[in-house]
Formats: sequence, structure tokens, C-alpha cells
Amino acid sequence: MPPTRIIIDTDPGVDDALTILLALASPEIKLEALTTVHGNTHVDITTRNALAVLEFLHAENIPVAKGCSLPLLVPLHKSGDAVHGKSGIGNANLPDPKATPVETHAIDYLIERVLAEPNEISIFPIAPLTNIALAIRKEPRFAETVKELVIMGGSLRAGGNITPAAEFNIHADPHAAHIVFHSGIPITLIPLDVTYKCLLTSADVERLNNNNSPIARFVRDATAVYMDFYKKYEGFNGCALHDPLTLATVIAPDLLTFENHYVDVDISGGISMGSTLADFMKVSKKPANVKVALGVRGREFVELFLERMMSLRGGA
Amino acid sequence: MPKHIILDTDPGIDDSLAILLALASPEVALDGISTIHGNASTAQVTRNALAILELAKASHIPVYKGCDLPLVKESLLSPETHGDTGLGYATLSEPLIKPQIKHGSDFLIEQIMSRPGEVTLVAIGPLTNVALAIRKEPRIVQNVKEVFIMGGAIKHQGNTTPLAEFNTFVDPHAAHIVFHSGMPITLTPLDVTYQCIFMKEDLERLQRIDSPITKFIADATRFYMEFHDEYQQIDGCVINDPMTLALTFMPEICDYQNLVVDVDVSTGVGLGNTFADFYNYEKKRPNMRVAMGVRPRMFMDLFLERIERLAKSIS
Repeated sequence: MPPTRIIIDTDPGVDDALTILLALASPEIKLEALTTVHGNTHVDITTRNALAVLEFLHAENIPVAKGCSLPLLVPLHKSGDAVHGKSGIGNANLPDPKATPVETHAIDYLIERVLAEPNEISIFPIAPLTNIALAIRKEPRFAETVKELVIMGGSLRAGGNITPAAEFNIHADPHAAHIVFHSGIPITLIPLDVTYKCLLTSADVERLNNNNSPIARFVRDATAVYMDFYKKYEGFNGCALHDPLTLATVIAPDLLTFENHYVDVDISGGISMGSTLADFMKVSKKPANVKVALGVRGREFVELFLERMMSLRGGA
Repeated sequence: MPKHIILDTDPGIDDSLAILLALASPEVALDGISTIHGNASTAQVTRNALAILELAKASHIPVYKGCDLPLVKESLLSPETHGDTGLGYATLSEPLIKPQIKHGSDFLIEQIMSRPGEVTLVAIGPLTNVALAIRKEPRIVQNVKEVFIMGGAIKHQGNTTPLAEFNTFVDPHAAHIVFHSGMPITLTPLDVTYQCIFMKEDLERLQRIDSPITKFIADATRFYMEFHDEYQQIDGCVINDPMTLALTFMPEICDYQNLVVDVDVSTGVGLGNTFADFYNYEKKRPNMRVAMGVRPRMFMDLFLERIERLAKSIS
């Protein structure tokens, strides 16, 4: 089978960086481009980080298109630093990238790539959905020609991680998520319900560092602040592999179980603003718009992630 | 030196009158038109914009097609107000010119960024294109000279829901983005436009000139007047959009207040409602200048004179 061709829409971000690593470590995937957006930190920094991670992996030939700096309506989130560190990727000190983003705005880059090869490109948004929403509204054919979206976001039964009800990516731009969820594009959703079952422990990172590779050191440095955050707020020695789990849909789909549901996003501005809700009981009679992962063999995914990291080359 | 304006519009009967007023007014140079869903579909209003420019022998002015749908809400068009074609009973021949390839929102960005501080944006439809342009290129906020918006109802009742005016109701989320963007906005709400009624006598005055322009206005506004009579018990019709355009060069038509204005996006019965914080207990900085008083005859005389002059030049 030819590799699945993907564009990752991302806000690196610690687990975003790990997703880029996993994509490049996986022969099942051909990473065509990265598009960047606000989210874990400012878009200037997420763009810098995207370029820096690609250079670290000797993959600077992969284009990066810079996207939106602000959510559609809600104010910009300012909570990323405690989770992802000031740099956006913990304590990893990657050198400033030599490459620069392409001239084209991420919205137009997504539209161009998708329309040029209808039904060929899968987009993996692992960040607030601002770029995707505006691509949909700017070019109506985008929704008809993109192959699929595999989104990290939302929480159906697992509670929120930024408010009691809402997951970060959706809460950071709920209106954009609303546009995307109702666009008619085939969507696979990877919510907190499954990502919180994929926990990379500090013991895992130690084991990875037994072979003392630049990749292993990067994973250790990148996850350091992230793990501190988990320890402080969730009482756990490790961190969840939220974003990397989206790639399991390609490299290890058997680890996931899916259900089709009608999923909506609360944009009404009350206490559940930005929460995602699934019509499990089919009371709305609305057709399913999302294929959502609700089961995962989490430990097996983490082992697969570690295995791929051991095979990956990077650094000097 | 004429003021350089770009018009974001959904023609639309009163939109058409705004285009004609712009062409008839030496104080402004109409550098281009971006189109937007609203009174009719984007495909239809784009065709209408091109056809009106051809009618007025101004087909050198470029037209850029914009967004098809509101950001978040479902589409809402208004055939009962503007007719199925958007132009009432007027039947304009199929335009020979085509829209430009560039998207309407990119045209706004390109114009504003290429001439910082020189371009006046006049937005008389739902604000989807403007909102998209702001989020794609935030620097247009600092670089646009002024923004004139037809929309909202501050103390006046709504014309689409009991609380909401049509343009802000069609895309309240876009209006929210634009209102809070920091752009220097002048708002023309229903509070002033409903004081300016284009009467049958005004139409008769224009019809004394035999011109395709006056014939078009008669056919378009006849439908519009029937709507106003049936739904709002108004004898004549309200021409919101040309009034907004007129304020770009004759500000003395209105009196203004600097106000803190917000848009309800909470999806309840007030969705799309625009309201001003007149008490402003929180001492927020006003985010726009709102036309709250008007000299209706001053506007109507200007409008009729200008259209007469344009009509005489085109036979």
C-alpha cells in the first residue's frame, strides 16, 4: 500500500512535536507539509518550532505554511506556557531554523494542495481549528475535495482539560470547531476519552534514553515541563500522547475502536462553552457527522511510539 | 483628490443604489467591489454587481466574488425583500464582463495593504469577507483608513428578528469579529436609515429623465416598495446602503455618538442583536462612531441630484 499522504495542522507544542517525530518515523505516512496556527503558544513561535523540529529531523524540505494568529471570536488563550513551556516545546533548545515558511498563508496553502489533488490529502488538525474553518468558508470546494480530517480534540465522556467541560483545542476556537464539524467533511475524532489512556511515563522516557540518541534526549527535554505539569495537576508521573495518537489511525488502526455519532460543539457562551457533545442516544435524529475513537489499547500505542522513536534519526 | 473606496456588497436593491451613488459622486473613486452572500446568493449578487456596472458604463471597475456562506450560522437570503434575483422587478441583461479570479477577502487585504492609510472600506452586506480578511491578515486593521458599515439597530427595533437587523443577523459572528477588531468604524444602523424614506414622489422625479438608470431604479424599487408596504406599512422604501455610502463624503448628513457596541452571538432569542452600552460603567473605550441622528432631506436631495446627473449622462 502506498503511504497515506498527510498535512498536519499544528501548534507545536510538546505533543505536536512528538507527532511530527512519529510521522517521520512511520513508513506508512508521507508527511507532505505542516500548517501552523495559534494555540499552545503564539503562531510565530509555533511556526518557528515547526521549522526547527523539521530541521532537527533533517526534513527541512517539508514545507511549512504559517496560519492564523487569533481564534475567530473568543480571546486568545494564554494558558499554554505552564503546559508546554515558554518555548512551546518544554526544555528542548532547538537551534533557530534556517528555513522560512512558504509565502502562502496556511488557509490558501491548504486550499491549493487539496484542490490540486482531490481526495488524495488527509489533514490532521492537532490544534485549534481556525485555519481549517476559514479554508472551508473561503473555498466551498475544499470540503468536497479533502479526503478526510483526523482531529485531536474534544471530550465526549471524559470531562475537559481546560474547563470542567471543554478540551483545549476546541475551547481555544469553538466557532471554528463548529464550522468544521458541520462542514460535511469525513471526520475522525481523537478525543480525550482515548488520549488520556496513552500515557508516556517518566520510566518510558528513561528507557528510551538508555540508547542515548539525540531523539531520545529531545523527547526527554521536550516532555520535561509537560510532565511537571501532569505531576502537579493530575498527580501522575508522565504525560498523555494526545496529538501522536491521531497517527494511530494510519499506523495502528487496530489499537482503536470507533463509533459513529452526531457530535456538536457548544458555542452559546455559557459554562459549557467549547464542550463537545455526542448524541449517544440518538435523540436529535441527526445523522452521524463524526467517527469518534472511544476505545484504545493505550499501552500498546505507547510501546509502538517508543519503538518508532528508537528507529528515528535526528540531530547532529 | 477623491476618496478611494472599496465596496463590499450584496446587491440587493439598495446596494445597487449605493453603487450608482458612488459612480455619480466625484468625491469618491470606486476602486473595486467585493461581493458577499446576503440579499441573494453570492453567485447572483456577483452577477448583479457586474450587470449594474455595465448598465452605468463602468465595467472597468473590477468585481471580486467573496464568501458563499456565513461563518457559523446557516445561510439566510432575503428573496421576499429583494426578489429572487436580488433586484426586484428589474431585468438587467447578462453581463459580458466576468468577476476577477482573486477572492473578495483577498482583494480587501491587497487593496488595504498596498496603500496603507488610503483605502476606505464601505461594507453594506453581511461582514463575512471583512471578518475573514481580518483573521487572515490582522494588519489590515491598522492600515485601513476608515470603515463604514451599514448594519445593526441600536435603539431601533430589528427588521429581521424583533431585535436584529438583517446584515448582523445573517452573520453575527463575522460582525462580532469586525466590531471588536479595532478598525475605525462608522456604523449606519436602522436608527437613522429608517428616517430616510425614498417615496413614490422621489421616484417620479427621477423618472422624468428617460434613461436606463432611471428605468432600472423604477423596476427595482417598485418591488422594494411593495415589500415595505406589505410588511412594514411604510409608503416608499428605506434605502439604507446609499446613505452609508453618502456618509463617506458628506458626514454632516448625520450626528454621531462614540459608543461601545457589541453583537449578541449567544444563540438565544437575541442572536444578531446589536446593542450600545450607553451607561458604560466599565469605562470601555468606544469601538465605533454610530450615526444616531440624521437630516433625511439633506441625504435625499443629494441622492436625487446625483442620480439625476448620472442618468442624464447615460441614455
